[in-house]
Amino acid sequence: MLLTILIFHFLLGGAVVAIGDRLGRRGFLFAALAPAVTMAWLATKLGSVRDGNAIQQRIEWIPQLDLAIDLRLDAMSAVMVGLVSGIGIFVCIYALGYFSHPKPGTARLAGLLTMFAGAMLGVVLSDHLIALFLFWELTSITSYLLIGNDDRNPRARDAALSAILITGSGGLAMLAGFVLIGQSAGTYRLSELVDAAPGGSTVTVGIVLVLIGAFTKSAQLPFAGWLPGAMVAPTPISAYLHAATMVKAGVYLVARLAPPLADLGAWRTLVILVSSATMIVGGWRALRQHDLKLLLAYGTVSQLAFMMLLFGMGRYDLAQAGIVVLIAHGAFKAALFMVVGIIDHQTGTRDVRKLHGFGSGWHPVIITSVLAAASMAGFPPLLGFIAKEKGLDAALHADFSGGTAIVVVLVVGSILTVAYSGRFVLGVLGRLGESDRQRISPTAPAPTAWFVAPAALLALGSLAAGLAPVLVDETVRSATESLYAAAKPKPVVLWAGFNTALLLSAVIIVAGLVTIALRQRVERLQHGFGDAVAPWPDSDRVFWGIVTGTSRFAKKSTGIVQNGSLPIYLMIILGVAAALPLVPALTSFETWPDTIGTWVHVPIAAVIVVAAIGATVVRRRIAAALLLGAVGFAMAGFYVVQGAPDLALTQFTIETLATVLFVLVLRFLPRRFADSKAAVTTAARLAVAGLVGVTVFVLALVSAGARSDVSQTSISAEMLERSVPDGKGSNVVNVILVDFRGLDTLGEITVLVVAALGAVSLARAGRRPSDRRRDRSASGRGFAELPLVDASARLLYPSILVLSVYFLFAGHNQPGGGFVGGLTAGAAISLRYIAGGVAAVRKSFRLAPWTILGGGLTISALTALVPLATGNSLLEHAGIAWDLGPLGTMKATSALPFDIGVYLVVVGLVLMAYEAFGDEHAPETSELPEAVTS
Amino acid sequence: MLAQDDFFLAPGIEWFHLGPVIALVSGALVLLVVGALTPRWPRGLYAYVTALTAAVAGGLAVFNWNDITDDGVSTLVGGALAFDTFAQMITITVCAATLLVALVTDDELRRAGKDGPEVYALFLIAATGAVVMGSANDLILLFLGLETLSLALYVLAASDRERPTSQEAGIKYFVLGGFASAFFLYGIALIYGGTQSTNIGEIIGSFQTSVLLDGKDTLVLAGIALLIVGLGFKVAAVPFHMWTPDVYQGAPTNVTAFMASVGKAGAFAAMLRVLVIALPFHRDDWRPAIWVLAVLSLVIGSVLAVVQTDVKRMLAYSSISHAGFILVGVEAAGHNAGELAPGDGMPSVLTYLLLYSVLTVGSFAVVSLVARNNGGDTSLDAFKGLAQRRPTIALALTVFLLAQAGVPLTSGFIAKWGVIQAAVEEESYAIAIIAMVAAVVAAFLYLRIMVSTWLETGAESTEREAVPFSTGVAVFSAAAFTLLIGVWPGWLLDAAESVTTYAK
Repeated sequence: MLLTILIFHFLLGGAVVAIGDRLGRRGFLFAALAPAVTMAWLATKLGSVRDGNAIQQRIEWIPQLDLAIDLRLDAMSAVMVGLVSGIGIFVCIYALGYFSHPKPGTARLAGLLTMFAGAMLGVVLSDHLIALFLFWELTSITSYLLIGNDDRNPRARDAALSAILITGSGGLAMLAGFVLIGQSAGTYRLSELVDAAPGGSTVTVGIVLVLIGAFTKSAQLPFAGWLPGAMVAPTPISAYLHAATMVKAGVYLVARLAPPLADLGAWRTLVILVSSATMIVGGWRALRQHDLKLLLAYGTVSQLAFMMLLFGMGRYDLAQAGIVVLIAHGAFKAALFMVVGIIDHQTGTRDVRKLHGFGSGWHPVIITSVLAAASMAGFPPLLGFIAKEKGLDAALHADFSGGTAIVVVLVVGSILTVAYSGRFVLGVLGRLGESDRQRISPTAPAPTAWFVAPAALLALGSLAAGLAPVLVDETVRSATESLYAAAKPKPVVLWAGFNTALLLSAVIIVAGLVTIALRQRVERLQHGFGDAVAPWPDSDRVFWGIVTGTSRFAKKSTGIVQNGSLPIYLMIILGVAAALPLVPALTSFETWPDTIGTWVHVPIAAVIVVAAIGATVVRRRIAAALLLGAVGFAMAGFYVVQGAPDLALTQFTIETLATVLFVLVLRFLPRRFADSKAAVTTAARLAVAGLVGVTVFVLALVSAGARSDVSQTSISAEMLERSVPDGKGSNVVNVILVDFRGLDTLGEITVLVVAALGAVSLARAGRRPSDRRRDRSASGRGFAELPLVDASARLLYPSILVLSVYFLFAGHNQPGGGFVGGLTAGAAISLRYIAGGVAAVRKSFRLAPWTILGGGLTISALTALVPLATGNSLLEHAGIAWDLGPLGTMKATSALPFDIGVYLVVVGLVLMAYEAFGDEHAPETSELPEAVTS
Repeated sequence: MLAQDDFFLAPGIEWFHLGPVIALVSGALVLLVVGALTPRWPRGLYAYVTALTAAVAGGLAVFNWNDITDDGVSTLVGGALAFDTFAQMITITVCAATLLVALVTDDELRRAGKDGPEVYALFLIAATGAVVMGSANDLILLFLGLETLSLALYVLAASDRERPTSQEAGIKYFVLGGFASAFFLYGIALIYGGTQSTNIGEIIGSFQTSVLLDGKDTLVLAGIALLIVGLGFKVAAVPFHMWTPDVYQGAPTNVTAFMASVGKAGAFAAMLRVLVIALPFHRDDWRPAIWVLAVLSLVIGSVLAVVQTDVKRMLAYSSISHAGFILVGVEAAGHNAGELAPGDGMPSVLTYLLLYSVLTVGSFAVVSLVARNNGGDTSLDAFKGLAQRRPTIALALTVFLLAQAGVPLTSGFIAKWGVIQAAVEEESYAIAIIAMVAAVVAAFLYLRIMVSTWLETGAESTEREAVPFSTGVAVFSAAAFTLLIGVWPGWLLDAAESVTTYAK
């Protein structure tokens, strides 16, 4: 049934929101249905609950995740349910009068209010801390929507934001605290926590976090700022959320957790410090407000602190007083808010300086406000008096350190309460009206009976319960017992005999009345005090500072890091990627490599380092490309020195070709790198590059030394050994390429062909069809028509081609091979291009580039497949030797056609590159945004 | 050739158990080959073929599930692919997401006059890659899957040839992704150097049989570092996340949905395979790194999401924060990786992936509907008044957003609670608390979208969004699934809990 009630609230609320403005203010009639049903149900169960038979409901929801819905209605929860639903009914009826001229969005308020009530009931009915947290945050969210309902009012939006941020983040702290407490207690259920009695330093941290949550929700210092701000909400909302119910969630939580936790760690000290300060500061501030609603808001802050002090000490007699205050406060504060709403509605102002008394039809309103204010001030014979008296009595008998302090705080706070209650009454009576203001209120139309009735009933209720405390006595007793199983509460009575508490009450009332009488002096004092503390940062300013600061920080940091620039993204990724493996690598990096092998290394290394640094700092693209080329050539120098001419040859040729291709493409890009903040980015770039360099260096050293366990007869020795007998060639590198790992090579040239086709088709796709036609027929001359270049190109071109063929054929036994040969031929083609442009390149090769490319691949693939036909395995090689007489012996293996294939693929690739990027009609500047290219 | 081994035995190929992969590849081939040779197919057929293929593949995975017993056949094709329920779960996730995305894509493409088989074929190829990543029992094969997925995604991101932002997204993703793949590959090489194998079973074996010498250990550690970089990029964890907002925003919305679901599922499957399954002996080394990635992703993803004003970008940041959540599960799984009682980490991650995939496709589907109505505008303003124009769509969006926020009674809650619970079980309180805090911070972001949708009124002139049939079906079924799992998650959790992994 408990769950059904909660679901009913949400469904009803959802339905009202969905139907929306068609309902108008009638929405509140529907909304009243939910609390009415709840109250009716509660009435049927109240008797047995008061007898200590808590209603439990446990729905096994997801057993795999240990998730069950635990709801529990004991007497304490019943008090809260009565408060939430009872005042809910009054507020709904009151809202009918308040929203007599509904605006768009009014019905939505009704729906949200119902949902809020559901969430609030969820808070007080949850027996599981996590569920409590969920409902807790839900109340924050619905409260956010309720405060900010008027989304065109910037003050409402700000107030809503501040409310949800403060209470929401407090809730987060609370959640963390719940987890810590729940884990160390071994249970998350409130009803079991009492017996679990956890302890330890984890719990202390948990307690602080939970209390932060409670303090934010119940507007304790320094988090109180959101509550006065929230007064921009329509008055029925303020009356319900910010006086009677939501702000009491924190008090409720403290009441629930104080029995097991109050004697632990920092709990009691923290509550005493925070709530004492809040009670006094709240009262003090209430005393200087001109806006009646704000006066009540600060009063609420002060009263909430009062309740915190009563519940938070972990003593049943104080808690009993707290329950009475809870009920009394719910009634009088809601009534007072309603009165303010009525005045605001009828006169259009809530400023005491603009009120000059009311006409005769207003008597019910005046009586109501006097009664409710008297209850707030703690005048007999109202319920507020009984509550305060009980609190004082219990505090006087406190058996823990700090008890006396509480008595003092209660007395001072209560004097202030009397004073601001008086201020409220004087304001309503028009005594604070300033004579130079327009007199509106005396002629204001009197409110209808329905409008006043809810407030009047609540005020009368305070009186009735004060005269006959037996009305609440049973409920209070059982609620106290449900919090403290061992409690022996004294009955709630109006007249408890002559005792210290009564004396203190008298002192409070007299002192309060004196303060009212001397109000002008008090005001001056307040001004002086206010000026004195003005420069101190108040919590409101701090809050907005944090909010705007965070937002500015987030935007700024996204602006820097997330600016869409590819190089910056890459730098971050590279930096992290370099730093991560560096950590383990450095730990095992013990010895530096012995020495410098030969002194030739030094200049080569110097060239590499200088060129690498240069490549990162230069501003022109072409310079960067050339410097990269220099790094490559210097690497080739290393290979030569180490005795690997084959590698050096490959490196040389590929570096040449790569540089030429770079230049071809760079023609289409802006000449310089576009950096907005060159100095910063260059430094960052250098740092990242350096980090990557260091990582690779260390990693290379570490991983080279890592395999000391591998026996000396390694795979390289085996390859050297088997090269001549199995591969029929003495150039091991080439034998590996065409034989040992021939299949890999085949795969690689296939990839090369596909990549070439892809790159060329992408390059051509960017051009208009007309351009393409002209391309084929263009007979443009090369751009370097210098005779010297032309002549030397003519001379060199054939010789280089012959050299490339030599490399191809000699490759199996001497340095060279199909790949190197092809690259050399590519260099020759580049020469041709420089001299004569694309046309010259086309002329020298009759076949279309793609034919050469495909032909090469076909030849290689067939060579690989032929042995299969003769029953051998893939790429099986055979060798023949011809005696050519005086020319010597020519040996050929079947690796040769394979190599020829490779050669042709590389040549075809180079030709394709010129075909695609080499024409002098530069294609239109690419449409890539600057972010990608810079 | 040198490597001619007389003892080479061709691996047996279990055709039926390979069914999902075969189905996906055949679907892609049919679309590419038949699609290229025939005139344009009648409306929607490309999409329906794709959806059907995904459904068949997913169905086959369900069949496979029943063939898996605790002592049954465990690997396929000579130890290259693992045949376990883990693989089937990932396959089902990927196929479900692919199916939904195909339905959403249909109208998007036809409306733009770009209907054709290529995009669908790429979807299926990418899905194949993701499935292979989830099933790989060999790091090389896993890398192949990764590349198959990634390359297809690069092209898909750039597939809207008329919008420069799509091109930009494609090239950024490609360049950065290329680096990430290179790191990953280098990591595999170092692992191979340290363990003498790329096969996951043999890698585990090498740790079991011999205590590693110091040097080899360094190789493995450096390899792990590089693998984490590569995987971190693919799952879009902070600080490797920078591509995500740009690419998610720039890519066509349906592709974004695909990336956020299939891409993420594949990447996390790979992460579990590599770290939890293959490298449990180094769990104490990689777990802190995952912890840091998780926390950074949670915090930065959530906080930066809140200050965005574009819904697609918000969802991109929120996907980063979701990645953080999943990493929380991975971290939890790391606590007792390789032990007989593996804990809740792995099941929680798998559940999260399935639920999040469906959710995110649904969310992006709604975004694409709204964007199309506003000429491609995906800012918060475009969502104003959606509730008045299309209440059902607004409702579906709300369901997705609530689920993304992790509100109870939606699947998102099950997902989030699962990973947090797993972390708490392993006593990783700090990360669990950070995750909860991040969840609430992120909830604010979803609230903003909901407020725009429900409480604010849009411009009068805005037309009602057109809701095409197939997209409607996708959105509806995703929303229904989200609610269904939210209320009745038991069966799915049972299935996830029974997930087995084999590595031999």
